[in-house]
Amino acid sequence: MDTLSRRKFLKLTSGAAAVGVASNFLSLDQIAQAAIDRPLAAGTPILVVVTLYGGNDGLNTVIPYKDPVYFSSRPDISYKAETMLPLDAELALNPNMAGIKGLWDQKKVAIIRGVGYPKPDHSHFSSMAKWQTASPERHISSGWLGRWLDSQPEDPMVAISLGSVLPPMLAGSKISGSALPLGGLVIPKGALATQCIQLSKAARTDSKLMAAAATSMRNLFNVSTNIQPILKMPAPVATDLPTVNGGNAGGDSNLSQQLDVVAKLISAGSPTKVWSVSLGGFDTHANEANAQAELLGVVSVSLTRFMSQLKSTSRSNDVTIMIYSEFGRRVKGNASQGTDHGTAGPMFLIGEKIKGGFYGDQPSLSKLIDGDLAVTTDFRDVYATVLESVLQSPAEQTLGKWAGRTDFLTKV
Amino acid sequence: MNSKRLEISRLFHRFGFGPRPGEYAQAVKNGVDSTRTNLVTVPEIDLGAARVLDPVITDLGQRPAPNSKEIVPFAIAMRFQSQQLILWWLDRMALSDHGLTERMTWFWHGHWATSIDKLNYPLPMFKQNKVFRAHALGNFNTMTKAMLNDGALQFWLDGQDSTVKAPNENLGRELMELFVLGVNRYTEDDVKAIARALTGYQVVRSNGNVTINQNRRDSKPVVLLGKTAVFNGDSLADFLVSRDDCAQFISERLWYRFISSSEDMTSDFAAKASFADRSIASAVTAMATDSSMSDSRYSLVKSPVEWFISACRALELTPSKLSTPGQLTSYLDKLSQVPFSPPNVGGWPAGEAWLSSATAQYRIAFATWLIKQSDLSVIKNIAPSARVSKSADWLGIPEWTPRTQNALRASISDPAQFVLLALCSPEYIVSA
Repeated sequence: MDTLSRRKFLKLTSGAAAVGVASNFLSLDQIAQAAIDRPLAAGTPILVVVTLYGGNDGLNTVIPYKDPVYFSSRPDISYKAETMLPLDAELALNPNMAGIKGLWDQKKVAIIRGVGYPKPDHSHFSSMAKWQTASPERHISSGWLGRWLDSQPEDPMVAISLGSVLPPMLAGSKISGSALPLGGLVIPKGALATQCIQLSKAARTDSKLMAAAATSMRNLFNVSTNIQPILKMPAPVATDLPTVNGGNAGGDSNLSQQLDVVAKLISAGSPTKVWSVSLGGFDTHANEANAQAELLGVVSVSLTRFMSQLKSTSRSNDVTIMIYSEFGRRVKGNASQGTDHGTAGPMFLIGEKIKGGFYGDQPSLSKLIDGDLAVTTDFRDVYATVLESVLQSPAEQTLGKWAGRTDFLTKV
Repeated sequence: MNSKRLEISRLFHRFGFGPRPGEYAQAVKNGVDSTRTNLVTVPEIDLGAARVLDPVITDLGQRPAPNSKEIVPFAIAMRFQSQQLILWWLDRMALSDHGLTERMTWFWHGHWATSIDKLNYPLPMFKQNKVFRAHALGNFNTMTKAMLNDGALQFWLDGQDSTVKAPNENLGRELMELFVLGVNRYTEDDVKAIARALTGYQVVRSNGNVTINQNRRDSKPVVLLGKTAVFNGDSLADFLVSRDDCAQFISERLWYRFISSSEDMTSDFAAKASFADRSIASAVTAMATDSSMSDSRYSLVKSPVEWFISACRALELTPSKLSTPGQLTSYLDKLSQVPFSPPNVGGWPAGEAWLSSATAQYRIAFATWLIKQSDLSVIKNIAPSARVSKSADWLGIPEWTPRTQNALRASISDPAQFVLLALCSPEYIVSA
């Protein structure tokens, strides 16, 4: 961040002081300085992971719209062919995903088809654990990005999850990511702050969990010192989207609020390489079509807006978005106009440097395994590519020896 | 660490919601055995709990049309009753003289995790909570039967939509995976079979009444875990609960919530053998006596509600009297734990999930708000020079580390800051 924007930055934060949000003028300068001290080097790739909790129905996301089996398997929850957004002669996007269709047309979207892992698990918790630990065969407690963090210098700013509970994905064996709730963090001041910092020191007799409690207090001071002033800045402008009533079309949602904060922090140069955001509610056992379309609409609108906001920053070429869910859903609908837990589903990778198009084979609707789609791509292929090409780190320290890759990124 | 103080601290914080002022010091005098016997023996009458009157929760009936005249009073009643429900339960946790019943009710709420966010009616959740309390220390088979007839659980897991024509697997799968047997102790074919066996339930959403519609039931035999039979709810519970996997699973869950969420259950964990007749009380008593209780490896993070209630007990505050109830639920929401609203059917997270920089901040804000509503006489009545040493007894903490002693000693002349630091210390957030 240059001096001009630093001044602007201070002006904005002292404006906040005037209305009583922050009261200590002197430390504002220090806080601003801290946030500016070590901005992410220009051109450093940034990963934004979007987790869709509940098991997104992949077949109603990327729809085999020419396949009669699709319509006959789920008569109550299939969409009308004419409302879908065709991607090619066989597959179409959910009718509510116009924004992502636009990015697809600009070749910024890679869709990896049929992604999963061997011996699919139909439990939300087990399956999400497999995705987040990247260890489908045996249970381990560290997350795949947590293990990547273990290999990085310790810095609570490197990986940040929006929301107050840290996803297992970002928990390493030694180092974990930080959680940032919407609305930001309020840091204690004065004598109390001094004593809180005293409480955050390690004690010789601390159990592992007590040490973690002390660390969480320490991270509060580290993260909030750097981030709080930036949160008070306006979100970057979405340059090329129509504005309706002061906000961009599509309305607010928690996901778009999360992405707003991420966009602000990326734009301010936060030294963060991994962001995690999420949206829940995809467990559509009942009355699926409307509920899922609404959720996918939120995903599409929020991410399109996010991509557009990034354009007004210098970082738009650096960001790669990865979207996944713990499983797809059963091909055949149930009695509740919904679908039960299934297996493979599509992953989306979005970004300026993405080589747009389809990767992996589309699972056949006529060759089901116990009523479920076959997995055609292992998610570790995608993770390995993300680790190497986005995070520029060896995949082996995180995934062990894993040969598969998915070539969705333009080589620099 | 003094193992007597450790074990007594664990008994208070894990088998109840923490000590009231004076209780821990007295218990240390009485010794571990006497304290344990007291804490696992439920008295006939609990005067503290009896002071908490049941809330008036009514059947609010069908939701009026949007924009109709009736929707406004409906929405107001819905919000008011839902809030009364939460306050009632928090009061029971904070005011009970004997902690174990509410502690186990809380455990079962996290086990059969059902959220009002899908039900959108308070009455079924109120009824379910009473089922948890009635069976909290009873027989697990009887509890499972009661839960299959529980409207809130049935609705939450789409049981009311599961028919012979198209069974919905949601309830059946979770019954095996999360409630009775544990994951991977059945096959996908078993999931399909149990879904058929559980067809036909119908639920009145607004009041949780459950009926069985024989026309929607699949009455053909199914093959479930190797047994071919026509099951109904009761025979299904009998069959599943009698399996060895059930004892394994329930003892794993007890271990996870009472002993350690990060270390594996020991092979000789006493709760398992004592669960042979599916008596929950026997398993809990055995767990309280297990050698793991005095093993310093097994520390446990207090969840936000556990932490909040233990602070209320220490400060002698009544949750429903805090100003305002809306702020109280907002603080709990920021810490991601509001009773009756678990995040999903797997229940609340545990361990390090509660130890982020965000929760650290919210805990400070929450504690600051609580402390403002207490007269702090419990600390003010101690001479400043004795505050550091006596406060460990007050909160039921085995010992303060030198780190925390330093922070507290710097605050002995500022009772509010002293209490805030004590409540937000690693020693209080984590049960040693």
